[in-house]
Amino acid sequence: MTDRRRINGPPSGTRPAVFASSLKSASGDATERPRRHRQPNELRKIFLKTGLIPSASGSAYLEYEPSASLAAARSSPQSLIPPSSALKLACTVHGPKPLPRSATFSPNLVLTTHVKYAPFAARQRKGHIRDASERDLGVHLETALRGVIVAERWPKSGLEITITILEAEDDRWWGDAPDSHDAPWGMMNVLAGCITAASAAIADARIDCLDLVAGGVAAIVSDDAVAEEGSSSTPKLMLDTDPAEHKSILSACVVAYMPARDEITEIWLKGDHSKASLGVDDSSLGHEALIDGAINAARGAHTVLVEAVLESAERYAGLSSSDS
Amino acid sequence: MASSAPPPALTLPPSQFARLQPHAYLLAHLSPPASSNQPSLRANGRQPAQFRPTSANTGSLTHTNGSAVVRVGDTTAVCGVRAELLPTSDIASWSVSHASSGAHKRATTTKNDADADADESHIQDLNLLVPNLSLSTGCAPGFVPGAPPSALAQSLSHQILGLLHSTRLVRAEDLRVWYQVPSFGGDGDMDVDAEEDEGRKKKNDGKEIKAFWVLYIDIMIISLAGNAFDAAWAAVLAALRDTRLPRAWWDADNEMVVCSEAVAEATRLSLRGLPIASSFCVFEADAAAGWRAVIVPDAEEEKKIEEDQRRGMQRRWILADPDGYEEGLSQERVCLVVDREMGKTVIVKMEKNGGWAVDGRELKQLVDTAAERWESLKLILEQC
Amino acid sequence: MSTQRQATSASQTPHISPAELSYLYTSLSLPQNPIRPDGRSATQFRPLTAETDLLPGTNGSARVGFADGTQAIVGVKAEVERTVVGAAASYTLAEAEGAGDLDGEGGEGSGSAAGAGAATAGHGSWVQMSIEIPGFRDDDALPVFLAEMMREPLVESVSSGGKGGNGREEGEMGGGLKGRLVINRRWHWRLYIDVLLLSQPLSYPLPLLSLTTHLALLATKLPKLKSKGEEDPFFDDDWNAAEYLYPRASSFPKFGGGTATGGVPPPVQHVRPPVTLLVIAVGDNVIFDPNREEIAVADTVLAISVTRDGGAEGGLKLLSIRTIDPPSRLTQPGVPNSENVATLGATAGAAGSEEQQSAAVLNPVTGEEEVPGVWRPRRGGVKRRTVAKMVKLVLEKGGVGEEVLEGLESVEVG
Repeated sequence: MTDRRRINGPPSGTRPAVFASSLKSASGDATERPRRHRQPNELRKIFLKTGLIPSASGSAYLEYEPSASLAAARSSPQSLIPPSSALKLACTVHGPKPLPRSATFSPNLVLTTHVKYAPFAARQRKGHIRDASERDLGVHLETALRGVIVAERWPKSGLEITITILEAEDDRWWGDAPDSHDAPWGMMNVLAGCITAASAAIADARIDCLDLVAGGVAAIVSDDAVAEEGSSSTPKLMLDTDPAEHKSILSACVVAYMPARDEITEIWLKGDHSKASLGVDDSSLGHEALIDGAINAARGAHTVLVEAVLESAERYAGLSSSDS
Repeated sequence: MASSAPPPALTLPPSQFARLQPHAYLLAHLSPPASSNQPSLRANGRQPAQFRPTSANTGSLTHTNGSAVVRVGDTTAVCGVRAELLPTSDIASWSVSHASSGAHKRATTTKNDADADADESHIQDLNLLVPNLSLSTGCAPGFVPGAPPSALAQSLSHQILGLLHSTRLVRAEDLRVWYQVPSFGGDGDMDVDAEEDEGRKKKNDGKEIKAFWVLYIDIMIISLAGNAFDAAWAAVLAALRDTRLPRAWWDADNEMVVCSEAVAEATRLSLRGLPIASSFCVFEADAAAGWRAVIVPDAEEEKKIEEDQRRGMQRRWILADPDGYEEGLSQERVCLVVDREMGKTVIVKMEKNGGWAVDGRELKQLVDTAAERWESLKLILEQC
Repeated sequence: MSTQRQATSASQTPHISPAELSYLYTSLSLPQNPIRPDGRSATQFRPLTAETDLLPGTNGSARVGFADGTQAIVGVKAEVERTVVGAAASYTLAEAEGAGDLDGEGGEGSGSAAGAGAATAGHGSWVQMSIEIPGFRDDDALPVFLAEMMREPLVESVSSGGKGGNGREEGEMGGGLKGRLVINRRWHWRLYIDVLLLSQPLSYPLPLLSLTTHLALLATKLPKLKSKGEEDPFFDDDWNAAEYLYPRASSFPKFGGGTATGGVPPPVQHVRPPVTLLVIAVGDNVIFDPNREEIAVADTVLAISVTRDGGAEGGLKLLSIRTIDPPSRLTQPGVPNSENVATLGATAGAAGSEEQQSAAVLNPVTGEEEVPGVWRPRRGGVKRRTVAKMVKLVLEKGGVGEEVLEGLESVEVG
């Protein structure tokens, strides 16, 4: 069925461009997988700014620093295929506003979250209608935020959080087979970014929270370089992994973390790391190392968050004093 | 007693007055009392014909062929252009006649490109330009995310599509992927089909369209504070100017179109002109006047209006680049799309709806204003 | 209505009074041994009835019913499908095939990473899961979330990328389902798992659906492959010769079968579908298989997916953890007597004792001031040690996870 409310392309559909170099991958790899230039516990820089969307009660824009390979590709473009991508998203908060008359009574603030990729956000064109992964992200985000908001201060009210992802993280390196490891690892980075941005936007909307919740990602990866040495690969724990930079991610974890209370409102851990012994730890404790790593990443994001929220507060204070 | 205090006047902070009595608030700004010696300014501090500060940035999105972010005041539009291929074999109605006429036209029109190019019908017939504008981004409180596109979003998408077609901004030639059929020697192993093909191709200078680029132009309005169309169109324009299409060719061995990833080989679109949109809205002092009297203003009334104006009483204002607040207070809107060629202003589109306050004389003035806007926006677009 | 749709936390907020919630919370958070409303121990599961292979039209099916009357049916259908690789890879694949004629497996090693890698690793989209819950549309948040939550551990591959040799890869296919769906490089099985909840979701339906899916997958048989190597597959039409998708330790086929592509039969005994357990924490207690009332007062709700480790020791391994929004955050707070206008006069007389009783104390778990006996909706998140404790209880030897898997294995299949 065609979507009559949008402008549709050719009825037969179109195909994404196929690059000659990807066909010739057998003959020798001209392009190399982007390498991680950061330390295992070094995070990408985050650009976070609040209040860019005046019509919303609160808003935030978040952007990850492009990886070294992407930055190089930007400054001196050689190839039309970007080596990796960097998260860019905008988050708005509308509310608290009264619930519609038809809604049932709620003693608490009713939170609705909505995550949508722009059609041009990922390597594959996304549809206009939310797919399962976008809904799934929305649920994760809702779980992460609901524990933070002091919801009983706004009975019978609703809060709408909308996130538009302008550029998503890659799930894998483009040169890898499309199916080689298909778990959507990029989604986890996106979720962490969503959590941090939403937290800033909620603070910008001056909704009471227990703490500023921040998102962080850690992953256990087994890297190319190690595997080439011939010895059995020793998987490593890395923070804030860019999936394009790693050949194989064994498992990854996102947390939404409140540093002041040392509490986690959301964990999403997946992947099998039972074969991975982290050296120092017993293999059965892999998940704990993973969660701790993600928390450390979230702590890093929290420092950025604090600065952004401080800016927002200063702006608000300046605004209210000039108003009166 | 004379000193008895006057009843305390009800005082409201300006921000609340603006919400309670928006019309009176804006009117008070535009027609300050003569004694105060203040200039007539809009509530947002702009002159009636002043546009909001505009900035543009292109090429920041990784997964697009071209992208742009345009901010007009507090309205922000992000536009990403993605090019995908439409092989002619997938087009149901693609026929021999199509292919040959295309090739034929091409041969004749390459010399005088300014001539009306009938080939442009390809763009329209095959839907090669697919603009879609989305407001469900939380850009303003009224738009429910996740719902189907609102009436405004649909209307804006179609306006952009219409403008893309009517300005013939994108050249169909840029979107074609040609294939030069190699001239086979007299090899005996060619079957009948191939020979027929060969015969046909020879007729067409051995050239054949194998595929078209389809440009998906997606516009996300990230923040909406009035006049979405100007911002969206500027974003489309900037993104198309930024768009690079990879060199593509027909790979006969694989029977598919293959592209080169080299940036050096990629080509930018060569756009026709630089049509720039400027929107205006009309604010009337007496909001209901136009609705009460259904009389076509005749000469006498005209005279009266002119008299009023001479006396310094202005009854309506034409506001350039209205923000959301002003849009809510006016019924009549004018949208002008102009281009300038060698110092001459060309009106590409003129649209006026919602009232009858603006007359021909004022439209002429608006065209001049739009031409000034064209100059300033051209600088911005060229710098980004 | 729309807000109800959105609410994924144990779906509807239960209509339990604050006083009742407080009572439940207190009894469930008793140190050492919680008192559950139905008298179970903290790790005990609700009794259930189960049967498998009840739908003849499917490759495998199961029905599980809990004592409270909730029932679920799962049907698994398998179809043979041509392996479609991306437009880019299709070409490489064609090339690899050409090479494959000469040196078989060698084509894989020669660096044409794209096509060959895809064909052996399988793809997550080969397993399709749909969940139907009465009262919910299939694109509502709850069914989508549940389906993702259950599909995720199911398709979880043992990473085939960075592990080196091919032989080792096959031995490690243990946990992942998708690797086992490969027939050859151009064909694969596609599984449709349809989960149907037959009754209204009385409690969070995850445990029920997960157990039923587990049993249905255990009972799933695929027809025996008769073709060899890379030719188009054809199958034995004798249903008795069909092989289990998850081979039994006892009835393990002697010769590789349709699962291990032309290799040595993997020395794996305990290959089992994953099972997702619902675990809650109330106070310091960790409680398994909560019913509706218990989940309503939970501080934390986790869904933890485990499966048998392929290794010889037969331990468990963790596949995924997801937080579920605890519905206790949406409940209505109770009003302490000291603030209650209605009871203020009545309690004024016993002011001395009342003050002592209603003095706020610091709850060590939530870190908030609370009046004992007065319900406060939960706020905040979960401490790290609580997560660690919950996971440990599931994973440890002789722990709950093992108990559940053993219990499920004892269900007569086939």
